[in-house]
Amino acid sequence: MMLTKQPGAPKADIALLLEGTYPFIRGGVSSWVHQVITGLPEYTFALIFLGGDPKHYGKQQYTLPDNVTHLECHYLMDIQAVGKPRPRRGNKAAFETQRCLHAQFKASADVPPDILHKVFADLGQKEGISRDDFLYSEESWEMIDENYRKYCTEPSFVDYFWSVRIMHSPLFQLAEVARKMPPVRMLHSISTGYAGLLGAIASEQRGIPLALSEHGIYTKERKIDLSQADWIHDPTDLVSGTLNEQLGYIRRLWIRFFEALGRLAYQQADPIVSLYQGNKARQLQDGAPEDRTCIIPNGIDPARFDAARQARPETIPRVLGLVGRVVPIKDIKTFIRAMRSVSEVIPDVEGWIVGPEDEDEAYVRECKELVASLDLTERVKFLGFQNVNDILPNLGLMVLTSISEALPLVILEAHAAGLPCLATDVGACRELLEGGSDEDRALGVSGVVVPIADPEATAREAVRLLSNPDQWRKAQQAGLERVQRFYTLDSMFTAYRSIYQKGLNN
Amino acid sequence: MAGIGFEIRRILKRDSFLNLFEAYGLAGIISSGPWVLSVLGVMLIGIISFSLRVSDTQIVQFLVSVTYLMAVSLTLSGLFQHVFTRWVADRLYAKRSDLILPNLMGLIWLTTLLSLGLGLVAMVLFFDGTSVLYRLLMLANFVVLCNLWPVTIFLSSMKSYRRIVVVFALGYATAVVGAILLSEFGLEGLLTGLLLGHSLLFFSFFYTIIRQYPGDYFIRFDFTRRRQIFPALILTGLLFNAAVWADKFIFWFHPDTSQPIIASLRASVIYDLPIFLAYLSIIPGMAVFLVRMETDFAEAYERFYNAVREGDTLERINRFRDQMVIVARNGIYEIFKVQGLTVIVIFLWSEEILAAIGISPLYLPLFHIDLVAVSIQLLLLAIQNVLFYLDARGINVTLCALFFFGNILFTFISIELGASFYGYGFAAATLLAALTGLWLLSRKFDKLEYETFMLQGR
Repeated sequence: MMLTKQPGAPKADIALLLEGTYPFIRGGVSSWVHQVITGLPEYTFALIFLGGDPKHYGKQQYTLPDNVTHLECHYLMDIQAVGKPRPRRGNKAAFETQRCLHAQFKASADVPPDILHKVFADLGQKEGISRDDFLYSEESWEMIDENYRKYCTEPSFVDYFWSVRIMHSPLFQLAEVARKMPPVRMLHSISTGYAGLLGAIASEQRGIPLALSEHGIYTKERKIDLSQADWIHDPTDLVSGTLNEQLGYIRRLWIRFFEALGRLAYQQADPIVSLYQGNKARQLQDGAPEDRTCIIPNGIDPARFDAARQARPETIPRVLGLVGRVVPIKDIKTFIRAMRSVSEVIPDVEGWIVGPEDEDEAYVRECKELVASLDLTERVKFLGFQNVNDILPNLGLMVLTSISEALPLVILEAHAAGLPCLATDVGACRELLEGGSDEDRALGVSGVVVPIADPEATAREAVRLLSNPDQWRKAQQAGLERVQRFYTLDSMFTAYRSIYQKGLNN
Repeated sequence: MAGIGFEIRRILKRDSFLNLFEAYGLAGIISSGPWVLSVLGVMLIGIISFSLRVSDTQIVQFLVSVTYLMAVSLTLSGLFQHVFTRWVADRLYAKRSDLILPNLMGLIWLTTLLSLGLGLVAMVLFFDGTSVLYRLLMLANFVVLCNLWPVTIFLSSMKSYRRIVVVFALGYATAVVGAILLSEFGLEGLLTGLLLGHSLLFFSFFYTIIRQYPGDYFIRFDFTRRRQIFPALILTGLLFNAAVWADKFIFWFHPDTSQPIIASLRASVIYDLPIFLAYLSIIPGMAVFLVRMETDFAEAYERFYNAVREGDTLERINRFRDQMVIVARNGIYEIFKVQGLTVIVIFLWSEEILAAIGISPLYLPLFHIDLVAVSIQLLLLAIQNVLFYLDARGINVTLCALFFFGNILFTFISIELGASFYGYGFAAATLLAALTGLWLLSRKFDKLEYETFMLQGR
């Protein structure tokens, strides 16, 4: 990489803190990052990539735009050869500060700035708590001992001990990354978690602004991962009372750890951006101060779908389309079951399932068997991966049966191509179909929202829309209007441009 | 080395006085091992020979020669004693008992080569004016002894303890009978008898071990791999044995206290006899030591580490630590009591004992302080054993170094102070090392959980 021209001269305007995404992993978040960088060429970006195990990341998936001036990668699971364990006392005052910090976490309260400053200044430093101090010192042992006795409800001390060690050791690496990061004028973290903490440390220590954008809700996703992770052993205790107790202490410890990371990022970040109302509510619940939160939805370029809209036939095609990977989270089976009921009313209806089938072969097989057993082989077609622009004109309704979504671009694309949608009540779907703000709601509905895993409701609403051309056309109009007004790439760029301007001017 | 522990526990469970006696008797024989027993055997040979045709000079030459053999062979095999014991324990823990026999074979080869080499050099350099036969016998005895010590590491792991007792009896009977029968050949005859006895011991034990351990290879040298061994243990073994003999060597070679006996070998008649006699007094304490270590302490230790490994609560880990401390403390107390009682009884009868063996009552004060010193040495051994269990290798090296250098320093001082202080140097060194050991052990126990968890892999 390039060397800085003079000491202290910023290497880039903005450092993007990326955890497990761009530019090594393809996906929604990564393409969004790529869009932002290319869409705001007036700014230069430094990329700080944080990964887990280096083995999980292959070669770079994106060609970096010219305004990326720096890329560095750090792997948190990459345990470097640590020196031989040697007995040491450890810094009493530094561990005392840690006790204050953890007390704040336990109370779900904001950490006082002076404590936070000392914690970050101590982290990974010889005069504070070095990695060796954390791993080998008596002070550290006393704190582990004390907390286990006070809080741990699970019998195995050795599990607790190792969880605490494994949980905290990436923090020392993060502290070092924060210290060695090239000079930049502003930080932008694309999630909470480790990247968010890195942002909080660097922003606190360097006195530069931190913006935080969350696509999913990191803490919530971790919660789901952790409650299913089989590397954590739960005690086989059949007499546990509450639901909370059923989730073992170690799992809850991990969840609380990520909650604390999130809280630190929220405390330090301004603004805290989410994609839609639902996620904003979640952020507030996790401790984000309301006055700093804002919503900037993802956008598309509607012009890209003009051709598809113009290619649309006069009559409404009797085709229901589901665009997405054939995987359980998209709940394809509900779509197939709904097709059964729809075909009872509209015999010549067709259902197209458009998306790659290589991710979960067992599930694909089950879906195809379900089609056969419901006698729908003539009606439901698996088209595999297709160019959406070619498909959209031929659909009469876009259907989304997912049990979980954030802000699905498919709906925006369908709307831009003049196609109403039917979607489950997850993520931003209701906002996208019924409107978010008052102004947005005034545009009218651009589709229907149904409960998840409800083939009957799905079928009923699909039939209603398809057999009511007036309503259909109103929805089409509202959808197009909505996308053009609220969900364009340009409006997203404008929003981020103003965040960056504000951050860099300070 | 669980074999003997299980046996003793089994015997003790039968819960009768006779069984108690059997358990402690067995423990006494196994723990004291050939070292104390050879003192006994050699003295027996000496005493019996007095009444035979062997001249007094030759008997003294025999006793001194054997003493040197013991001192040098013990110090030399001290190099491997702990490091190999630990290596074996680690392999057993890793369920690789198939590696043990080939490596014991390797160790024996190494010891044989080393002792043969050193012995040859010594024969050439230090034994001018002695017969070739004497030199060859000394060399042979040396090599056999050097090989006997590592084999005795396995004694406590053997299940057939009755066989051990029988072998010991047979070995020393052979030595004594052989020596008496060959006594007409003088010094050489006595040495031949001893060689026969020790060879019988060595080969019998070796045979038993070969029968007991599986092995697909004939010989291997895994125990010399740096990654599998702890160098501190080499130093510990060497220093401890050197420390035990340091005062004796000083007395042998100090002009005021010694006289030449045979070739370059010198001896200190005034110093040697009482101390070797005193060593016999530690047999009861050794027995208690082995029983306590192999039963109660081993159990407490296992409980603690199982609790650590298998995910017990910290409260229970702490409690097992406390129990382990109590068991260790009780064990040390018990050795103290039994050994103290033994010492008192011998004190009372010491004049009679010396008279019976034909030693002048002038030796009495020295004999008394030697009794105390060897008892403290036994305590030191017990403390060090607990420390070995806790893997405190650094502390053990420190203690051995303290013992070694203390013994050298204090012995010289005691010689300067005059005859009435002989023996006090050795006693002071053992006391210093034992007290330091107790202090360090107690500190180690205080920080045991911290060190076990935080400093693992050290």
